[in-house]
Amino acid sequence: MMNPVEIHKKLRELLELAEYVRDIKGEDFEGIEELYREIHRTYHNFYELPPEDIDNLSREWEFKLKNILEIAEKTLTPYEIVKIVRHPQRFTLMDILENVYDSFMELGGEGELNIDPAIVCAKALISRRVGDEVYFHQVMVIGHEKGHGEEYRRGGSATPWGNEKALRYMRMAETEGIPIHFFIFTPGAYPIEDYPGAAQQIARNLYYMSKLSVPTISFISEGGSGGAEAIGLTDLRLMAEKGYYSVISPEGAAAIEAKLKDERPPRELVEKMAKALKLTARDNLELGTIDRIIPEPPLGARRKDYEFFKRLKIELIKATDEVVLQTRSLKVLRKYALSKHSEEGFPFYINWELSEDEKEVLLENRRKKYREMTRWAVLESKGIWKSLSEKGVRITQNLAYEVKYQIFKRGQKTFKRFWDELWSESSILLKPVSDPVKSVYNLIVGKKVKPKVRILADLEEDTFTYQSPLALQDRTVTCPQAEKYGCPDLWVPDLYGEFCGVCPSCGYHFPLEYYWYLNNIFDKNSIKFFNEDLSSCNPLNFEGYAEKLKKAREETGLNSALLSFEAKIGGISLIAVMLVADFRQGTVGVAEGEKFIRAIELAMVSRRPFLALVHTTGGIRIHEGTTGVVQMPRCTMAVREYVDSGGLYIVVYDNNSYAGPVASFLGSAPYQFALKSTRLGFAGPRVILETTGQPVPPDYHSVENALKRGHIQGIWDRRELRKKLFFALLTMGGPNLYYR
Amino acid sequence: MREKILIANRGEIALRIMEACELLELDYVAVYTKEDEESLHVRRAKKKYRISDYRDMNDLLAVADEEKCIAIHPGYGFLSENYRFARRVIKRERPLIWIGPSWEAIRDLGNKLYMKKVAKELGIPIIPGTVDPLYNEIEAELKAEELLEEAEAQGFESISFLVKAVAGGGGMGIEEVKNLEEIRPVFRRVRAYAKRLFGEEGIIIEIKIPVFQHLEVQILGTKDGEYVHFGTRNCTIQSPFRQKRIELAPGFCERFQFNFDPKAVESAIINYSLKLAQHFNYDSVGTFEWLITPDGKYYLMEVNTRIQVENEISAKISFINGKQVNLLREQIRVALGDKLGYSQEDIEFRGMSLEFRLIAEDTRRGFMPLSGTITKFQFPDYPWLTVRTHVPQDRPYVIPTQFDPNLALAIIYAEDLENLLERSRRFLDEAIIEGITPKGDPLITNIPYLKEKLALIYQFI
Repeated sequence: MMNPVEIHKKLRELLELAEYVRDIKGEDFEGIEELYREIHRTYHNFYELPPEDIDNLSREWEFKLKNILEIAEKTLTPYEIVKIVRHPQRFTLMDILENVYDSFMELGGEGELNIDPAIVCAKALISRRVGDEVYFHQVMVIGHEKGHGEEYRRGGSATPWGNEKALRYMRMAETEGIPIHFFIFTPGAYPIEDYPGAAQQIARNLYYMSKLSVPTISFISEGGSGGAEAIGLTDLRLMAEKGYYSVISPEGAAAIEAKLKDERPPRELVEKMAKALKLTARDNLELGTIDRIIPEPPLGARRKDYEFFKRLKIELIKATDEVVLQTRSLKVLRKYALSKHSEEGFPFYINWELSEDEKEVLLENRRKKYREMTRWAVLESKGIWKSLSEKGVRITQNLAYEVKYQIFKRGQKTFKRFWDELWSESSILLKPVSDPVKSVYNLIVGKKVKPKVRILADLEEDTFTYQSPLALQDRTVTCPQAEKYGCPDLWVPDLYGEFCGVCPSCGYHFPLEYYWYLNNIFDKNSIKFFNEDLSSCNPLNFEGYAEKLKKAREETGLNSALLSFEAKIGGISLIAVMLVADFRQGTVGVAEGEKFIRAIELAMVSRRPFLALVHTTGGIRIHEGTTGVVQMPRCTMAVREYVDSGGLYIVVYDNNSYAGPVASFLGSAPYQFALKSTRLGFAGPRVILETTGQPVPPDYHSVENALKRGHIQGIWDRRELRKKLFFALLTMGGPNLYYR
Repeated sequence: MREKILIANRGEIALRIMEACELLELDYVAVYTKEDEESLHVRRAKKKYRISDYRDMNDLLAVADEEKCIAIHPGYGFLSENYRFARRVIKRERPLIWIGPSWEAIRDLGNKLYMKKVAKELGIPIIPGTVDPLYNEIEAELKAEELLEEAEAQGFESISFLVKAVAGGGGMGIEEVKNLEEIRPVFRRVRAYAKRLFGEEGIIIEIKIPVFQHLEVQILGTKDGEYVHFGTRNCTIQSPFRQKRIELAPGFCERFQFNFDPKAVESAIINYSLKLAQHFNYDSVGTFEWLITPDGKYYLMEVNTRIQVENEISAKISFINGKQVNLLREQIRVALGDKLGYSQEDIEFRGMSLEFRLIAEDTRRGFMPLSGTITKFQFPDYPWLTVRTHVPQDRPYVIPTQFDPNLALAIIYAEDLENLLERSRRFLDEAIIEGITPKGDPLITNIPYLKEKLALIYQFI
């Protein structure tokens, strides 16, 4: 028989467990509500009852609860997993720091006194036993802290400056050459746009993480879309067995599916969505968006599950070892994999520091990993011969570009530099001699000075005959800003014709169809589409999605929301992609991501500038779940590769550009411009209101504010788009463009 | 039922259009704004509508539809050279006749650069300068250098340049550059100004012609490709802001000495004007403006694709089979599809004509147009004098400030120069314009200025 203190403690644990089970499985589950009330009553009358009775009762309850827990685990649904993850009793990052690591010191603030309490960064030590020896590894721990109900933690939603804090300590770890362990416990990023900008900072993090030269491991317990990706692009992705990783919360998906505005979606629909979104660890492993599952006890680990923490510690060390060993020889890795890891120790000590060569291998491995991720989910209709011949073409093309630019162009460039130097030197000496000769010569021949710089006048040569279908009506429209600026009504054929959809008196931009851009900013007949047949294959078997895709295909004649094409502006050849509103609001799924990557890869090998036009993007397509979400790191990785190779990547936004794509491969572009009409940001006004409880002013997502936040480099007028782009092509970008 | 014309303009031109309509037995509808309620054009019209703005296309078209008009006469100014309006008028579901040239001609000839380019291709002399817009200063400097050499070769002395915004006009977005070193800073300044004001940063550089006479050729074309001209006018006497004050027809007077053969120059500019008009299938009245240098060089400056204020002095000296012509009547007739019914041989030029523009302006203080109330407005009555005005003579008239400041046009006809000058002086002496400014000072007019400038007619300035 235990002493009363121990009995009281045990009773308390039982009460918490009963409460937990009730919360997860619902009051009607296996009589849990009665059991909970019984324990609760006893717990409150603890000192009035004889200890023996309580001891006996608690044994009985313990047994009952164990049984209930077993049934609960067997009947666990995806939505219940979501509830587990959100439960205040679930372990948090602070619990991990205290139980998995041997010691740690928080950086950038502790508790409430913090840059952002939702993001915890810590320098930590993790120990490894090899035989009788104990080794310590230094690691940087970065992750979200949900807290156990403290309001200031904001449930683990990182602010823009919180993500900036994370990036700062990533850089520090890189400088010091130590691995980083990321812990993802977030329902999503906190949707406010303040400096440095929600979307912008996530994009910046992804861009930086794609080439972080230290081993990176992430562990996902609650992976809420873009917020998760902000610290999620890593070499190895672990996931808690009872964690979820999803493009959107099941409630959010249900609201969208049911097209609800303010009321709560019905519970059945939410549960259905939780299933359809394929958000569990097992689903994600199957989809290939994570690498490994960390097992948990029935109904998930809670903050005192020390067994779980022990396990987690081993898994983290193993994962880091693996990443490090992959940069070394395969033989060592194989040997390591075959060896038995006991609970107590490891067979080897492995140094986590990487040499310069190993860093290169690390980055190459990371690149390959993300390049392959979700590639299976793309549909490409082609026979075996076609695919073989296309591959052949691609290889010869790459080889040709390689020879052209690496061998010839390089030689030519060196010679030109030498020649220029020689010429500028000698012309100073020659000028007094040559000038009189020159003027005589000019007098005889008739001087024809050819300007060395390209001139924009060439651009105006083409007269475009494209007629927007919007322009074919004899009616007038009122400019929405007429009340403010007194604009006269606009005759539709003028507005959608010559005015490029811009009110000439106040500059208000009306939306235009995407063909307008195709027909008006590129040289006539220069557009050549490629990868047109690439389309999504409904990777989650999401109910109704196949029909929606089919409908979109029929309505638009496109196979995906992203057009990729070769085109010319003022004779300069470039690769461009365009997200179009017509196809499912320009949302991004696997096919769009894959097309984007292929396009930017083509731009890289052919040394052409790369332009991304955003007609509209509504974010990551929810029907493709995390396979859609991982397009964020995938595409950003490709962007980084391209930019580092010395190309020119320009993004031009118009209309509405929100969420995932802006927070990754668009937002990471060195040059981003927006047309005046653009609304640009991370989350729309409604989401902000729901999450923060604060309504935002109407101009919150305006280009002016995006500019102030440093998101874009400039505001462009649609009427000047072609000219501006041409100038950008001439003056911006790295040294490896084909025309440099 | 008689066909109806919408007169989309105000003031004296609206009155002249009404007169032409009456000659052709056409009905008309007038429009006016609040400020113009007292104008004579409102009093004379039987049918009239008040609109918000003479530039409001939607209002004008609504009136035209309501009154079932078949055509719109835009007059001068306002929408007369707006090719978008011209295009809309003929392309709408209920199309109207545009009394003026085709919208394509308005667009192409109104675009000075394009016009210059075409003219150059046709071998028509244009002021030495760039024919493509320049966008960067290095290019600008190169071009200026090239121009300098070209101009020196042509015998120009002490050359200076004009840096002009493509989209500019009426003295805005234009700066003079005396030496090459200044090209770059001036170029940048004008470009920034043009970008801010016109939203278009194209720049051209031209040689500045220091001394010249301003001549213009009045032509008329029809849809059937018939072309005639009504001689030339001389509009050299202008305000410092390049607004005409005294116009004369014909363009040259044989009583003055020239270093060249004025007859040859006149026929050259007429022929070139007709050539360009034919190239654009120009099918209305139009004016081609030329610069003549003291040594007889001539350059096409611009084309006005509308009826001009000073059209009547050409009409006064032109006789078709002995009868005087009315150019507005001809313009409307041609727009409605009539054939000319005569050819160049039937047109005979006789006598001389002069036009004064009477304006309440302070010519000694920067030609500021003045506001105020006109209390007395009187002109002598002579057979050789025609006064065109919308200002009532029987009651006080408040000068609206937002429009063209012209109060009246005085058109004087005479058989020879002596008589013309004598009658002109007599008119200026006898005309009475009195009034008070809002401050209570007496209203000043440009009559003294006109008297003074009369001495400079047919001179190179």
